[in-house]
Amino acid sequence: MRYPVVRALLAGAVVILAEIAISQQLPNGAQPASQSTTPDQRAAATRTFLGLGPEPDKVAAARGAPLYQQNCAFCHGPQARGATGASLITSDEVLKDDHGEHLAEFLKMGRPEKGMPAFATMPEDQLKDIAEFVHVQVEEVANRGAYHVLNILVGNEERGREYVSSHCVSCHAPGAFAHIGSRFRLPEQLQRGWIWPIRSTNESLALTATVKTPEGATLTGRVTQISDFRITLIDHTGQTHIVDRTPGVQVEMQDPLAAHHQIIQSLTNEDMHNVTAYLETLQ
Amino acid sequence: MRLATGILIATATLAGAAPPVPHASPNASVDPGIIGKAPITSWPTFNGDYSGRRYSTLTQIAPSNVRHLTQQWVYKITDVGAQRGAPVPIIKCTPLLVGGILYITIPDHIWALNARTGNPIWHYDWVDHGGHLVGQRGVGIWKTTLFFQTPDNWLIALNANTGQELWKKNYADARKQYFSTSAPLIVKNHVIIGVGGDAMDMPGFLDSFDPITGNLQWTWWSTPRKGDPALTTWPNEPASEHGGGMTWMPGTYDPALNLLYWPTGNTNPVFAGQGRPGANLWTESIVALDADTGELKWYFQVSPHDTHDFDNTTAPILFDRVVSGKPRKLLAQAARNGFFVTLDRVTGKYLVVKPYVPLDYSSGLSPQGEPIPIPDKDPTVGGSINIVNATNWQAPAYNPNTGLVYVNSVEGKAIYYLTDDSDQPSGYGGTGEGIGPSERVLQAIDPLTGKAVWRHVYPNLNNAPTTLGPSILTTATNLLITGDDQKNAIIFSADKGQILWHHELGANESGGIITYLLDGKQYIVFGAGDSLYAWSLPQ
Repeated sequence: MRYPVVRALLAGAVVILAEIAISQQLPNGAQPASQSTTPDQRAAATRTFLGLGPEPDKVAAARGAPLYQQNCAFCHGPQARGATGASLITSDEVLKDDHGEHLAEFLKMGRPEKGMPAFATMPEDQLKDIAEFVHVQVEEVANRGAYHVLNILVGNEERGREYVSSHCVSCHAPGAFAHIGSRFRLPEQLQRGWIWPIRSTNESLALTATVKTPEGATLTGRVTQISDFRITLIDHTGQTHIVDRTPGVQVEMQDPLAAHHQIIQSLTNEDMHNVTAYLETLQ
Repeated sequence: MRLATGILIATATLAGAAPPVPHASPNASVDPGIIGKAPITSWPTFNGDYSGRRYSTLTQIAPSNVRHLTQQWVYKITDVGAQRGAPVPIIKCTPLLVGGILYITIPDHIWALNARTGNPIWHYDWVDHGGHLVGQRGVGIWKTTLFFQTPDNWLIALNANTGQELWKKNYADARKQYFSTSAPLIVKNHVIIGVGGDAMDMPGFLDSFDPITGNLQWTWWSTPRKGDPALTTWPNEPASEHGGGMTWMPGTYDPALNLLYWPTGNTNPVFAGQGRPGANLWTESIVALDADTGELKWYFQVSPHDTHDFDNTTAPILFDRVVSGKPRKLLAQAARNGFFVTLDRVTGKYLVVKPYVPLDYSSGLSPQGEPIPIPDKDPTVGGSINIVNATNWQAPAYNPNTGLVYVNSVEGKAIYYLTDDSDQPSGYGGTGEGIGPSERVLQAIDPLTGKAVWRHVYPNLNNAPTTLGPSILTTATNLLITGDDQKNAIIFSADKGQILWHHELGANESGGIITYLLDGKQYIVFGAGDSLYAWSLPQ
């Protein structure tokens, strides 16, 4: 049903869910952390986007790790980021190599003129394992799609419980948070989830609107689209209404998460950490 | 293999009556002496002129007749499929219009189009060996030579009328994650190019090349080297040499002062600042450089010691105003860190430094006017809440009649995590993701106060990750042309922000918006997704 109506004032809160674009110009923000992709898929997609070349062999790298630490770390640092010797992360010799085909030869020769010994007697497969270890170090720096957050449970549980008691019970019934910690796979998902619950999986959190047309019709329903020029609603019978926002059309939005929006504006890092630590205990 | 092919079959679609067929063949040639004048029958630089104002003196299209705007033709890119990391072609360039020829780009591709019909004249196709294919901002032109930057950091010189390659030069290593998206800036006999890439802790730079020979004229590094006093803003020389500060958006230029004004990008390592205590010059700055030598004349650091990828690449806009009875040469930037900055562009001294989005990460300004970050707002292991980037690369505008700067901004928050808490972090070292709602807001800011005179919140329910707002163009007839992220091209009144016209396109406006007179008719031209649209009033 399409109402021939005119432009309207927007009353009430308009909410835009915008993903962050913190990266220089990544299409979907710096860290595509969509719930629907696995970490490996994310890493692979970012590797492709960045043009990072072939994926390092992690099994070979694990074999190469002790060899690297024993033979190379003293000069180049434990993560190849440099010490008395250069960082290998941006080394030409490393970056022109895919799987040791160049680096193994280079390591056999060394760079005696710069004080780097030759590894002439080390078996070829071990040299290649060292090469893979270095490639994994490059990957861990350059492929931000492969990053993972550390243990974010750094808060004080008791203070978190106090915050919840004083800030959340005016809206949420006692016991509302029972077992909340078990509903999230990872603490960072819990942290996001309590600050800004996911609307798409909970219909009671949907944005709704009341639209009044100049002809006197009133429509109420879940909003599926809104712009300056049009609003689309699904009413309680499941019928979709598309209304042109021409003059005289009034739109009033209702957001069940308005209080959470307010919380985000002033939430301190300490309170965030404390509440997450507390809710994580509610398994 | 690089191809420049003449194209005989038109793929443009015509709406309404076919435009008249011109008698003279299109012919592109730009005298470098006229670059920088008000663009009327051409749009010869990324910003139209050198000032970054994106202001047109043309008056044919006006509030009284915008309702009659009619689509003249559309050119749709049909001969390029998915590119690496970019599933569909998106026009993120600002087209150039010279001698009746429009030049548009996506990564690895240039098309020369007949501006009267939208039909292709030639197409140049580069096969890259690395680099990011995330965007391409357009070409530069000097006399009859076109200049193009590739994802893997080649500067290509081509014959503007045939697309034939004249020479090419590689200026950075894609394996070190340098990549190029910029449009070269042509100043006198200098082709000035910037570069991007922050995955591997490399230093940013600008190179100036000779337009005829391709010889390097000068290089300016965006972090200091041995012997430079600015090294004291870094813990040591290796940190500075790996400190980032990419130069991936075109700068602006004042011919009278012969100064380039370039915005520099984020510091490296990006989110992990613990290995680089100090202000980290000249990353996150606006720098003024001598156009003939690349020598630094002054700097203003918008985000000292950045740890949020605030990537200060929004255009510094140049304009003149009388302030307290004195004529002043000014520069304004709506920075991505949420501060609006107005500087004296002769000296670099600040007049205004003021937040234009709600933010709480700064404890005040230094004596030089630079925002002082609060360390507690740095990314941490447990997470730290801060603002999202308040804007991005899309061009802002300035209208001398209203005296206002226009910017599409975003108001929202993100949680930033430190993922590398070692004392020797590298790369990004952290991550950030938006939390809660964020709003896209078109703002009209008085650059003498930093305050918004009017704001327009674009209603939306959906994520708007890359469309921090298409670019903006403003005109002498009080038009402000931009768009939302629901495929609407929108014209506002520049003084009040009233919506005068809109039209739903096939995609969001995605690049720069230009206007010019051709055969006496004013056109408005912009890219949206894979298509370039040309609008004008009916005959």
